[in-house]
Amino acid sequence: MKVKKDYLLRNVAGSNIVVPVGEGSLDFSGVITLNEVGAFLWENLKEDTDLDSLVKTLCSEYDVDEATAKADVTEFLNKLKGADLLED
Amino acid sequence: MYKLKVAELNLEIEYKYPTMIKQAEAYKADFERPNIRIEITDENLALMQRENPHLSLDDVEYIFTGGAFYEALLEFKGFMLHSSGVCVDGYAYLFSADPGTGKSTHTGLWQQYFGEDRALIINDDKPAIRLVDDKLYAYGTPWSGKTDKNLNMRVPVGAIVFIERSADKNWVREITPKEAIPLILGQTVRPTESDKMEKLLDVLDTLLRRVRVFRLGCDMSFDAVKTSYEAIRVV
Repeated sequence: MKVKKDYLLRNVAGSNIVVPVGEGSLDFSGVITLNEVGAFLWENLKEDTDLDSLVKTLCSEYDVDEATAKADVTEFLNKLKGADLLED
Repeated sequence: MYKLKVAELNLEIEYKYPTMIKQAEAYKADFERPNIRIEITDENLALMQRENPHLSLDDVEYIFTGGAFYEALLEFKGFMLHSSGVCVDGYAYLFSADPGTGKSTHTGLWQQYFGEDRALIINDDKPAIRLVDDKLYAYGTPWSGKTDKNLNMRVPVGAIVFIERSADKNWVREITPKEAIPLILGQTVRPTESDKMEKLLDVLDTLLRRVRVFRLGCDMSFDAVKTSYEAIRVV
């Protein structure tokens, strides 16, 4: 899975925001704000990946145990799926 | 082709209907090389009018030349904020809101309160904001919505204020960049091309690090002016 390509992640004045561009802007005209971990996961989701790799990457970058990381990543992915921001 | 200087950009532009002729008059200039060229053919104007039958050709020309300018502005570290901009003591205060909320009414009250020589409406609906020589300026442009209130001048941006109506009392609250970003993106023309969106976000990054942004709940009284002015004034 990966994030849909028609979205732009940018840090604007300290906030990580995701905005739709191109065809993405036809379906969605809002702004998504991500926390630091969310932005990190989003960056890693620009290339095709899966739950296990994301958990590993998160554990290597942040001081977090695997169970917590897995719960966090799962929750984040569910949010992205709910907002229809992921593709296979 | 007419030559205009708008927001310190050399603009070569074709127009022929009364609204543009009148609105553009104060922006006529002379230069060798244009930064921006805007040419809308009769065919395109007619097509746009068919798509918007409630508009006259005059309206269509005014609206679409403005749209073309504000899109081009993104290439020059600038963007349009849908707002009524008032200049007091050398700073521009931009009051933004959805149509019908009362942004022009509010800046009109500033003019009554401070006097029309101290409070100047630089653009009543669509001021341009640009980063020039590392400073943020608000500019009057020929495109000022339904009113002809605009002045060919540039003024440092003092504050941006998102207005909402409040029946019982006037209040003002400074907001974070995080809260301001969606509000600003909701009151400009959001580019769909990725590179233009990047450029818009570059300007917003600088703007939100330097300029304070507020929310204002207000009625139509002088108390509303005092409440906002005391909170947002730079000098």
